[in-house]
This record gives sequence, C-alpha cells and structure tokens, in this order.
Amino acid sequence: MKERISTMMDGELFEDETEALLSRIKHHPEARQEWQTYHLIGDALRQPQHISRDISATLRERLQLEPTVLAPRRKISQKVRYFAMSAAASLMALALVIWMSAQIGAEPATQQMAVQQQAGAVQPAGLAARQGVDDYLMAHQEVSPSTDVQGAASYIHTVAAR
Amino acid sequence: MKPGSHMKPGFFLALLLSSSIPLAMADPAMQEDVDWLKVMVFAAHRTDYTGTFIYQSGSHVETSRITHVTDAAGEHERLEGLDGERHEIIRNNDQVLCYLANGKVLIKKREGKGAFPALLPDQLSALNENYLIRRGEEDRVAGLHAHTLLFLPRDNLRYVHKMWAHSDSGLLLKAVVLDERGRVIEQYAFTQLSIGGNIDRKWIVQDKFLDKLRQQQAGVGAAVTTAASESGWQVGALPAGFRKVLEMRRSLRDGKAQVTHLVFSDGLAGISVFIESLADKPEMHPGLYSQGVMQIYSKVVDDNLLTVVGEVPPRTLLQVADSVRFRGQ
Repeated sequence: MKERISTMMDGELFEDETEALLSRIKHHPEARQEWQTYHLIGDALRQPQHISRDISATLRERLQLEPTVLAPRRKISQKVRYFAMSAAASLMALALVIWMSAQIGAEPATQQMAVQQQAGAVQPAGLAARQGVDDYLMAHQEVSPSTDVQGAASYIHTVAAR
Repeated sequence: MKPGSHMKPGFFLALLLSSSIPLAMADPAMQEDVDWLKVMVFAAHRTDYTGTFIYQSGSHVETSRITHVTDAAGEHERLEGLDGERHEIIRNNDQVLCYLANGKVLIKKREGKGAFPALLPDQLSALNENYLIRRGEEDRVAGLHAHTLLFLPRDNLRYVHKMWAHSDSGLLLKAVVLDERGRVIEQYAFTQLSIGGNIDRKWIVQDKFLDKLRQQQAGVGAAVTTAASESGWQVGALPAGFRKVLEMRRSLRDGKAQVTHLVFSDGLAGISVFIESLADKPEMHPGLYSQGVMQIYSKVVDDNLLTVVGEVPPRTLLQVADSVRFRGQ
C-alpha cells in the first residue's frame, strides 16, 4: 500500500490505477491512515518551521527529568546548556523515529532521512498543535518590548498570520 | 492635523527629551541613538501608514500588508497575509480579531499593557547594560531614506538586532535579527510604504461589534486578569541582564484556563513564563517550537505545564525553563 501511494505521488500510476487507489483511500480507514502518514513524513521533511509533537507519555516524563539530570542548580555553563539542548533534540528525534516505525513499519530509507533532518531541529506537527502555540505567542507579544517598535507586524510569528 | 502623520522627528525629539530622565551613561552619541529608539516607538503608535512588507525566516518567505491608523477612539491596526489563503488580524486598541484561513474568527483581548506603551527609564538603562547601541550608516529602504541602529549584545544570551528607521517619520522600515555568528535568524522589510494621506478605514471594526462577538465566544466574558505580585513561582537562574517587569494571573484559550504569567525583559527582548495546571488540559505539547526569532519551549513540572516564550536564543529560553521553581506563597 505504502509503495502504491508513493508511486502514485510520483505520477507513475496509470489513470485507472490512480482512481482505484484514491477510492480505496477514501473508503478504507487503514488506507487513509497510510495516506496521512505518507504526507506527515513529507511535511516533516519539508517544513521550515519546527514544532515538536508530544510523541509519547514516556518522552514527556524523560523530558521532564532530563534537565534535572544534566543541569547543576547554579552557574550553569553554556556548554552544559548546549548539550542539554541537543540531547533534548536528539531524544525527540529518536522518539519520532520510533513513533514513525510504529506507524509505518520498517522503511529504513525514510527513517534515515528523518534522522538526518532531525539532527538539529524538532519535528513539525499538525496545525491543531500549532494553533495551541498562538495563545502563548499572542499573550507574549502583548507584553514584549519588541512589539513596541514593530506593532502588528510582530503577529507575523503567529499561526493566525499565515 | 492627525496625530503624528506628518510631524518631523525633531519635534518628537524635543517632545521626548523634555520628559526624559538622564541616563546612567552620559555619552551624547549614545543618548542620540537611544532617542532614535524612543522616536521609533512613538512613531509606531502615532503614525497613520499603510504598506507592504516581506518577512523571511530560513527558507520561509511571506508578504503581508500592514495598515495603522489612529483616531479619537485610539489605535486601529490591520495585518493581511497576501500569500496563500486569505487571513488577517485586526487590532482595535486592546482587542484583537483574527480571521483565520479556515474561515474561523477568533477574538482575543490584550492584557497587561496600556494602549500606548512608553519606554521607561528602567528599560532604557537595561538596554545600555545589555547592548552596545551604535548608529550605523544611512541607507534607503523601499525608496525611503533611513537611519540605521545596531544593537550588539554584550554576551551571547541575546540576538544582534539591526533596525532601519525612516528618517522623516521614525517608522521602522526594516529589521534584521542575527545570531552571534552573524547568521540571519529573520528579517522584515517594507517594499512599499505610504505615510499619512487618505488611508482606507472601512475595515475598522466598531468596539460595540467586538464586545458582542466576545460575549458570544464561550467563556470570554469570564476572563479576568489580576495583578499577582507573588504567585510563588520563581525563575532560579534568570539569564544575566533580564529583570522581571510584570507578574499576573490571566486567562488563556478563551477563558478556559487561568495561568500565571511572568514577564522578563532585557530592554529589547522579552521572555514570558506561563504556568498552568495540567488539569485544564493544555493544548500545547511539550517540546521546542521556533518561528524565526520567536522560541517557545514547553515542559511538564509536577502537575503543571510550563511554557516559556521569548525572542531570545534557545539556550537563554532553556536556562529560564530549567530553573522555574515553585517556592510557595
């Protein structure tokens, strides 16, 4: 199924095959899931903006624990900070790959690419999650000194503005 | 004459200088640079203008139109996205209306700030402590003559900011944010700008309409902001140069959640800390999100969701997030 979707997206299916496949996607939940996953991966590889996704409860717990483990209470050096951050990013990258493989089964090439993309950044999530971000962005911009000079242009950072 | 429409900065300077408090640093050149910033803040709120600007961050580029007018009722501002599906944001003093691409309309009330923010002496001295402010070369943006101001951070906890101000009106024409290696984090520049004159005002939304809309949206009426000077939440390792400027209880998500909001500033960049109970089912997912200069980091602390937002490098944000503690009331 995954291969069929991929072939279709590459424009390599005949018209009648494409129609049959689209109809299958429309009527079968598993096929639809595959379709969504295909696009999620595509989005993940293309998006210039980054957002992490709450991948699992385990990750949430580990993220919560992590800074405590890595960061001394006072006078935290920049090096430690950098490390903590990249550790957080790679932890999320790892979790994303695990989550993806659970979703799509073994697809080594895609996973490899996801890991490479992940090296320094966090992954995109759905629009719903991003809209959750807007509340905080807008609330922050009300009180941030940078808004004083920029005015409404500072709303450009919000999802509502794009 | 409409306020600010055609006034020269010399007038603003005289106006602002007469009320300004002498700064700790008495360097006259620096005083002049800081005055330019004051002029820019004043101009941003008191000038009628409309123009098109380009925003770029990474490989992302978008074009928007911004219109700002003032009248007896105050400030009206409109930001229209010109790319992709239609969407816009309209601000009427402290009320913000968002027309989203999906057809949804959202209304939000801005809290915790007066209609006309002024740069306080505290903020200006913080600016001088944290940034080396330098007047750059004169330049031209969107066909308009501009003065440039450079804010060089004195450490690596903040970004480099460069601003182009219109020499006549003081309006911000272009802004670039760079990291310590000189890489552009984001930039914003007008490609066309008209100041004063006949600006279309048909889009202005009446306050009455906004009030009605707010009442219709569930729970918004219940939104109450209270100044809470001591919530018991503290940032243990506040990055050097940042000071707390505000602390309040406010509502988020259309009044569905009450959060504690702490605000810190280094004079130019701000950091907000939001703390809310997980019982209120936050929509935010733990993790790091970034959009140009803006970073957002969320994590779970005990039974609370902690969200830190700021136009600072991720390391500065994480230093704040990792040191937030409840010290009791």
